Amino acid sequence: MSVETKQAVRQPSLGGRMSNESFISLFMVGVLLVLFGIAAVFVPNFYLPQNMLNLITNNWYIIILGIGVTFLLITGNFDMSVGGVIALTGVLSVYFCQASNVSQNVLANGLGLPYGVAVALALLGALSIGAVNAFFVTRIKVPSIIVTLGTMMVARGIAQVITQGAQRNTSLPDVFGVVGTMAIPGTSIKISVLVMIALLVGAFIFEKRTVAGRRTYLIGANKEAARLSGVNVDRHLTMLFLLSALLAGITGILLASEYKAGVSNRAMGYEFDALVVTLLGGVSIAGGFGSVLGMFVGALILSVVTTAATGLLLQPGWQWTLKAVVTFCAILAQRFALDRRKG
Amino acid sequence: MNRTENVLEIRDLVKDFPGVRAVDNVSFDIKRNSVHCLVGENGAGKSTLIKILTGAYARTSGTILLNGEEYDSHNPREARQKGISTLFQELNVVDQLTVADNLTLGLEDTTLGFLRTTDKISRMVSVMNSIEPSIHPRQQVSRLSVAKKQIVEIAKAVASESDVIIMDEPTASISESEVERLFAIIHRLREQNVTVIYISHRLDEIFEIGDYVTVLRDGKHIGTKPISEVQGRAELIRMMIGKTVFEEYTPKEDAAREPLLQVRNLSNHKLQDISFDVHTGEIAGFYGLVGAGKTELARAIYGIDRYEGEILFKGSKLQPAPEKAIAAGIALVPEERRSQGLFTILTIRGNVPVMNMGKISRNGFINPSAERNVTLEYIDKLNIATDSTEKEASKLSGGNQQKVVLSKCLFADADLLMLDEPTRGIDVGAKSEIYGIIRQLSQEGKSIMIFSSELPEIMNICDSIYLLCDGSLRATMRNSDDVDTEEIMHIVTGGECEE
Repeated sequence: MSVETKQAVRQPSLGGRMSNESFISLFMVGVLLVLFGIAAVFVPNFYLPQNMLNLITNNWYIIILGIGVTFLLITGNFDMSVGGVIALTGVLSVYFCQASNVSQNVLANGLGLPYGVAVALALLGALSIGAVNAFFVTRIKVPSIIVTLGTMMVARGIAQVITQGAQRNTSLPDVFGVVGTMAIPGTSIKISVLVMIALLVGAFIFEKRTVAGRRTYLIGANKEAARLSGVNVDRHLTMLFLLSALLAGITGILLASEYKAGVSNRAMGYEFDALVVTLLGGVSIAGGFGSVLGMFVGALILSVVTTAATGLLLQPGWQWTLKAVVTFCAILAQRFALDRRKG
Repeated sequence: MNRTENVLEIRDLVKDFPGVRAVDNVSFDIKRNSVHCLVGENGAGKSTLIKILTGAYARTSGTILLNGEEYDSHNPREARQKGISTLFQELNVVDQLTVADNLTLGLEDTTLGFLRTTDKISRMVSVMNSIEPSIHPRQQVSRLSVAKKQIVEIAKAVASESDVIIMDEPTASISESEVERLFAIIHRLREQNVTVIYISHRLDEIFEIGDYVTVLRDGKHIGTKPISEVQGRAELIRMMIGKTVFEEYTPKEDAAREPLLQVRNLSNHKLQDISFDVHTGEIAGFYGLVGAGKTELARAIYGIDRYEGEILFKGSKLQPAPEKAIAAGIALVPEERRSQGLFTILTIRGNVPVMNMGKISRNGFINPSAERNVTLEYIDKLNIATDSTEKEASKLSGGNQQKVVLSKCLFADADLLMLDEPTRGIDVGAKSEIYGIIRQLSQEGKSIMIFSSELPEIMNICDSIYLLCDGSLRATMRNSDDVDTEEIMHIVTGGECEE
């Protein structure tokens, strides 16, 4: 018996077969190229460099949201509250920053705080939604999908209360519109896109190189084993819910600045787009598997499909349907490929 | 119906698993209208035999005659239709339904998929009433005690006219007065022409309720006798353990040793007032049958379950949380390898360093080459059969998976290593390798606690032996050549301690 065992031991190597994660990312890059090729044939001007750049930059907000959603999904948790948090943070930042007592119109009066303070307080509002998510998931043990669907509506509800169901866009100082509209001189690349790139790089390092990143996978792979291996699961999940809410908050601040308005129904449905790009990127809905880089590729796929559908000048209803069918097929193809590979 | 003298005749039954023969040429008869007890140590083949009877496993070869006719079943439902019902340890009742719904579950009369009210329900209910009138058919099952849930299942078995009812450890989780009631019901069943196959670790129960007893050991049939011809517990124990050869244990020098772990008056939902010390360099073995409280003791020390009482480690009080225990220098190899120990979808490299990430990282950033080297070091040290550090843990064999879990705990650099059933379900070669590692650790001055339901394992490597039964510590002894294994079996099966 032991002789056999000994023979089976070869010198352990480091490389060899590609990991499942790299496989999925490469597979989705392939899907992206194929879809891009098809779009370039059928959609006029699709291949122009400016359009290709737009594919990356137009979706900056979904990619930022996707970072938080990816990490939570890797632990086996959902965050459906991100769209609501964007609306809430945007509205709060406007309300805090609007001049006080300047008009008969209630929606034109705010608290008159300096922009920096308004932003900080608005982000605090975003974090409190994250804290509520974390509290119910870790302490009360409510499934995250239920908790975050609840806070999604609560956050948007508060935004609607503050805007009386509409929006606030008057009596704002000029500084409010700067961060969202400023671009690198001579290009169309906005600060928001730079923020996205910085966060993406940070998230990539977090995922690949930090202990906290590794713990995210441990929790998703086997929560009980993670706990018995000394991972403080509740604390880690709390951190990730706060991170996701903070990223949504940053997105909310940037969008509010870009439009110079706090709109209560801003970012409707973004939570689903964020979920779709993580799934397109190969993150497992069961947890323990996936990557930020994959999510980025997923976002590009969504972007290609959306842009192509628009470029084909289809009716909005058909655009929507085409987008849905292609994304669904892409996710199916990926699951199929992974199952085949795992044998 | 064919009224043969023997309700069941088992002939030359064999069941092979890869690498193991779990049931080895077993032949015996079960007399009609008797209570037939089945005893044996863990791994003796009882469960496998039962699973063949209920259709959960397919036999490798051999024949089974039920009422004189060839019997075969592919699932528990088919077995029930043919006349063999089973009361599993994990009861098969649906908590959310009422008693009446449970009784007819799977036996409903339907028209085009719609339920039809027939006299079947009233017949079932009257059977149950005759057994236990205090259970109301409209009651929701989740409100019933475990004992009453058992009665619902027994009623279902009786009402579906079973010839044989198999009861697997029915008294493991019910109170003493409920045991009495269950025994009364079993006596009544015998009068109603039902044969009961009764499995229990508690030997006293065998003598109280049984008519016949069959002893299995290592998959082999050791003997079948009327209870009246068995010469007390001692004979039964001798049949169960046989002449086990205990290899290689050499008593250690009893040097002046420091207590490392001091447990004082530990109690919780399962444990009763347990106190003991584990010393530096000691291998302490905790032996008891299934349900004796071994796992619960390990979980309490590790801080997973709540407890009352005090646990001192290196002289200071232990905070009850796994991360605190690891930080203090304790590591646990849990009972359930796949669900509690291993990250099956991660690679070996993803598993090995997780309990001591500080050692391969700086300021929270992982050093990839340190991580790789550590993994290679343990693959080499524990002889894990793999061609790469990047192999998914789920693709390893059971023994190699256990070595990965062990690596994880060894890398934690603990002073006290707790192993719960460290060699369950792994092959002989890997087993002896793991024993070798444990001995070496002890020589390096580490303390080890082994929680096991395999006596040879305890006798082979442990310096001291702690015997658990029903959640309390019944006896403590030093391991040596003159440790009496029959005495040990006597104590852990609930017999009185002689000291």
